[in-house]
Amino acid sequence: MALLEVSGLTRHFGGVRAVTDLSFTVAEGEILGLIGPNGAGKTTAFNLIAGYLRPMAGRIVFAGRDLVGLKPHAVTKRGIARTFQIVKPFRKLDVLENVVLGAFLRRRGRREAEAEARLVLDKVGLGAKIGVPAADLTLAEQKRLEIARALATRPRLLLLDEPMGGLNPTEIDQASLLVQRLREDGITIVWVEHVLKAIMKVSHRVVVIHHGEKIADATPEAVVQDPAVIAAYLGGARDGHAAA
Amino acid sequence: MTRGLVALAIVALFAVPWLVTNTFFMHLAIMVLMWTALGAAWNLLGGFAGQVSFGHAAFLGVGAYATMIFHLKLGLAPWYGLVLGGVIGALVSLPIGFICFRLRGPYFSLATLAVAEIIRIIAINWETLTDGPVGMLITTLPELRVLGQPVDWESKTPFYVMIATIVVAVIGATWAITRLRFGAYLLAIREDPDSAEAVGIDTVRTNVTALALSAFFTALTGGFYAIYFRYIDPDAVFSIALSVEMVFIAVVGGLATAAGPLIGAVFLVTLAEVFRERFQVWHLIFYGLFMMLTIRYLPEGIWGRIGLLLGRRG
Amino acid sequence: METLIQSLVSGVLTGSLYAMIGVGLTVVFGVMRIINMAHGDLVMLGMYGAFWAHVGARVDPFLSIVVWMPLMFLFGMAIHRFLLRKVVLGGELNTLLYTAGLSLFIANLALFVWTGDYRTIKLSYAVMPLRPFDIAVPIPLAISFGLAIVITVALYWLLARTDMGRAIRATSQDAEAAALMGVNVERTATITFGLGTALAGGAGVLLAPSLYLYPTVGEILVAKCFVIVVLGGLGSVPGAIAGGILLGIIESLGAVYVSVAYKDLIGFVIFLLVLLLRPAGLFGVGKS
Ligand SMILES: Nc1ncnc2c1ncn2[C@@H]1O[C@H](COP(=O)(O)OP(=O)(O)O)[C@@H](O)[C@H]1O
Ligand SMILES: [Mg+2]
Repeated sequence: MALLEVSGLTRHFGGVRAVTDLSFTVAEGEILGLIGPNGAGKTTAFNLIAGYLRPMAGRIVFAGRDLVGLKPHAVTKRGIARTFQIVKPFRKLDVLENVVLGAFLRRRGRREAEAEARLVLDKVGLGAKIGVPAADLTLAEQKRLEIARALATRPRLLLLDEPMGGLNPTEIDQASLLVQRLREDGITIVWVEHVLKAIMKVSHRVVVIHHGEKIADATPEAVVQDPAVIAAYLGGARDGHAAA
Repeated sequence: MTRGLVALAIVALFAVPWLVTNTFFMHLAIMVLMWTALGAAWNLLGGFAGQVSFGHAAFLGVGAYATMIFHLKLGLAPWYGLVLGGVIGALVSLPIGFICFRLRGPYFSLATLAVAEIIRIIAINWETLTDGPVGMLITTLPELRVLGQPVDWESKTPFYVMIATIVVAVIGATWAITRLRFGAYLLAIREDPDSAEAVGIDTVRTNVTALALSAFFTALTGGFYAIYFRYIDPDAVFSIALSVEMVFIAVVGGLATAAGPLIGAVFLVTLAEVFRERFQVWHLIFYGLFMMLTIRYLPEGIWGRIGLLLGRRG
Repeated sequence: METLIQSLVSGVLTGSLYAMIGVGLTVVFGVMRIINMAHGDLVMLGMYGAFWAHVGARVDPFLSIVVWMPLMFLFGMAIHRFLLRKVVLGGELNTLLYTAGLSLFIANLALFVWTGDYRTIKLSYAVMPLRPFDIAVPIPLAISFGLAIVITVALYWLLARTDMGRAIRATSQDAEAAALMGVNVERTATITFGLGTALAGGAGVLLAPSLYLYPTVGEILVAKCFVIVVLGGLGSVPGAIAGGILLGIIESLGAVYVSVAYKDLIGFVIFLLVLLLRPAGLFGVGKS
């Protein structure tokens, strides 16, 4: 049975059809790439799943239970953690405290939470930055911090919203390594990305959305040859949005 | 070492009435402590969770009126009314919280201001309960014996002990909160409510809890206000100016610090009381000025800056 | 029926002045995203300006607006340039607290200088109200209403037709985009704050002959102001005009049909409901 099953998900903003009748599934242990040109509705889909927006229609079934109507914190408690495309660290708090706040979800005591946070920070390569205020990190580091904070909540499913957006090629390679390591740990991930090369390499399966609707759902190899996908991306490229 | 210092400070605090006989100084000390309690109570919500309330006079007024009403209409001794008033303040804060916390930032602030004004207007007009704009007066406080000794209500000492106890309670609560997960959650909400939700924090519930605690201590202090001054009216205890002064004490002292409000109150209230003797309004001119200077040049407040200089975390 | 028309008329007349105050607050919010807690005190300064012009210099209070509005404009620009500009960078809550301090400072300085006495302006030509169609229209309010319309039309012209107005509207819509298009956002903010202050001061001048004036009147006015701009949608000029007139009508109908005592309550309750249910304002045009 699928860990996450999204069906008929719909959300419009006035006349903007951000997400329309979107359905897909994610199996336990799978890494699903979710791609589409800018404005395709990827972030909106995440906001719907994570409880930041209410769907106008559709179901979101996670581990057998419907999530629609739950507040974001309740979704996190059920085991879905997310990162934000536009990073939202706790700016004045230091790196350790940022992650401790994630770890507090499953561990009430400060000592245990801190121990957990340090482990996670080592894993994402921020072990040396523990005492630095989050606001003073580089963008690449802040994106890692988002991942660390999400991991510290011990999610069963991780939603990554463009963890490579805005990074330079070296940083992208490093981030790519990180996601590969997470994949080896067996975490289930839905990963939104613009940088197609990286996502094609790491994902088991790719869902493509365009103007809020799903246009492809297949292996990375099949998706890159899909004419509908190529057309969508060429349209996107004309607006100067698509990369790689 | 810190623990020893804290114990020493508490002993010194309670020793003051036995060392000082000057009535003006005792009154000054009581005012400083009263504003410390109010600033510290406000700080629980405004400083830690970053939810700037411009309506805390509502809770002060509710506490003061509860104490008065229980005493004058039901014959309950005001020191019981004071505690009951604190509980009522916390209860009143629950619906207010569930309404206002649906809003963020400045919108939250405006909503609290509106709620406080609504409560003030009700207090003015609900004459059967509050006696309306003429206010309520306790002519003599009932007799009370502590350890077999009758309490002398003409001296300042019993009032001082009362308010000092409240201050120790509210600062103690603040200090305890900074050590708990709850305190960390409040800071997380202040920094970014979306991210706070993302790590599983129920922001509304956490905020409502902080507000209830804050309202409890504010109403408790309101009860003290009623007992100490023995007279209250709606414009005195529900005024916007009172809410704003609580904010200033906390901001000037240092947001989200346990001791900041004490520093802010010592500084501002001393100034106020000294000036009040001569010119009625000068102290508020200075309040305004200090507020502006603090936000501009010392946004972490006096105690916050001292903390930074001592190289502490947080 | 007559009472209804009467209270509608006085509601609209007072509401036009509320609208002018609200517009001042809302343009500032639109451009700078700050809520100016001292806005009511700026209105108070305008009221005293009119009073002193009348009592001190024997100038008609309405006429004194030609002096006070430009002066308040400069005053507002100075406040922004020398006080607010740096503070705004620290975030909206800092600005809120800062302007609360400014409000306390201005109001109590005024209390110190002018004492807490209630004052009124008595106009020789305005003792008896006009009585068109048997409806009482106080002359000062009628004049204020006319002038408020003139000023509002002038403001619309300024926003619609001048380069500065275009810069203000562009910044209001999207400050970053405006900056990219070559708008000097900083300068626009300073001028906008001047404009908001001039509107507050001007409204004060127009209100002075109809209200009691005392130094802390700003506290009440600023609370009304928040109601107005939230009703209309924060940042929207037509919204603030509609909100102002609406509040005027609500208050005057409330005083007649509910009770004088609770008329202010109605405003606040509606304010809360709008904040909660329609945060972009009744007309859905504000920026939440
Ligand atoms: N809160 C919102 N209000 C109005 N429109 C929105 C909102 N969020 C997203 N949109 C619109 O929905 C569409 C999809 O946006 P988004 O989900 O962010 O796309 P993506 O993440 O794929 O780039 C865009 O046209 C965007 O402008
Ligand atoms: Mg996106």
